[in-house]
Amino acid sequence: MNQRDLELLSSYLDGQLKPSDSARLEARLSTDPGLRAVLDDLRSARGLLRRLPLRKAPRNFTLTPKMVGKNPPLPRAYPAFRFVSALATLLLFFTLGLNFLAPQMASQAPAFGMGGGGAPDVYSAQAPAAAATEAPAATEAPAAAAEMAPLPTTTLSAEDAARNTVETPVEKDGVTEEPGVLSQGQAPVQNAQPVPAEAPRPVPPVWQFVLAGVALLSALIMLWMRQMSINRWRRK
Amino acid sequence: MDEQALIHDAQGGNLDAFNTLILHYQDGVYNTALRILGDGDLAADATQEAFISAFKSISSFRGGSFKAWLMRTVTNACYDELRRQKRRPTTPLEPDTDDGEEMDSPRWLADPNMTPDQKAEADELEHALQHCLNNLPVEFKSVVVMADIQGMDYTEVAIAVRVPLGTIKSRLARARLRLRECLQGFEELLPASFRLEEGTST
Repeated sequence: MNQRDLELLSSYLDGQLKPSDSARLEARLSTDPGLRAVLDDLRSARGLLRRLPLRKAPRNFTLTPKMVGKNPPLPRAYPAFRFVSALATLLLFFTLGLNFLAPQMASQAPAFGMGGGGAPDVYSAQAPAAAATEAPAATEAPAAAAEMAPLPTTTLSAEDAARNTVETPVEKDGVTEEPGVLSQGQAPVQNAQPVPAEAPRPVPPVWQFVLAGVALLSALIMLWMRQMSINRWRRK
Repeated sequence: MDEQALIHDAQGGNLDAFNTLILHYQDGVYNTALRILGDGDLAADATQEAFISAFKSISSFRGGSFKAWLMRTVTNACYDELRRQKRRPTTPLEPDTDDGEEMDSPRWLADPNMTPDQKAEADELEHALQHCLNNLPVEFKSVVVMADIQGMDYTEVAIAVRVPLGTIKSRLARARLRLRECLQGFEELLPASFRLEEGTST
């Protein structure tokens, strides 16, 4: 018995042969008792296997969420609250940072030349004329500085002012480019005289309370939703 | 049972839907594992592992025969178990009795509705068949279990074991031949209609 015949017989037994192959094999079976005997043996072996009782499963193999490391399904609104909570938290930290950094930046603004072309501290109450003549472009600086943090401008000495004006001859270009500024040069200096005690914050604190409240409320709702989902799942 | 709908829901993470599928298929999956491994406890473990694995990878099911896909999972779980057995000392296939001796036949699986004589005969025949199955190479065993015991067609078996159809035909034919040869040693246990004639085909 060769392997090819064995496969043919096995497939024939299962009705898996093409009609032409089946006809050829049947013709051989009718003349070959050895082939017929093998077919009977294969049929008997298959019949015995089919007689094996189908055992009932000893228990139910249903899965629990724990077995598959699965979390309970959350309500559809859950992602919306997650987004709101995240956004509110982000904005809260942004506004906190803004309110913290803004006064510091304002106080450092003159040194960094905010609006003053690099030498805003040229302005002082004691040397307005020199400033107006030699560095008129810088006249914009005290205006900005006075609005944001005018304190340093009032404490400058005339010496400092003079030195700074000498160190910033470049500003002369500003005069030629913006001649109109010169005549208004003194006005900001005079406006800088009334010094506010504290710089205003860019974002009112009430907004921070609102944002913190929204973030906290959203987080609490999310927590409640999750707990409800877990409880509902456990009851199933 | 709307199988396609349940599969779709399970793919969306619905564990209840998948558990419904488990209840439908668990007997077949367990019996496949039982015949491949030859041990009830190991078969139960493999079945549980197979269902866990199937749920985790159900998104990879792309249609076709879900039974064949499940059988592939349980066959893999059985192969893993057999590999573990090779690395570790084997346990006896029969459970121990109270006094520590091995039972001659797997009576713990017997159908309680049979008469004692029928039960004894069925147990002995089952024992003989399982013994012969255990002696088959595992790749033959999985094919013959799915085709002849589970009644799956060749295409389903090919999907389940991921081999070409021609290989399935070849393995099945050789597995049946080996079983026939093995069962000649248990001739007296076989029902009269299944008695085999010796030396007919080799």
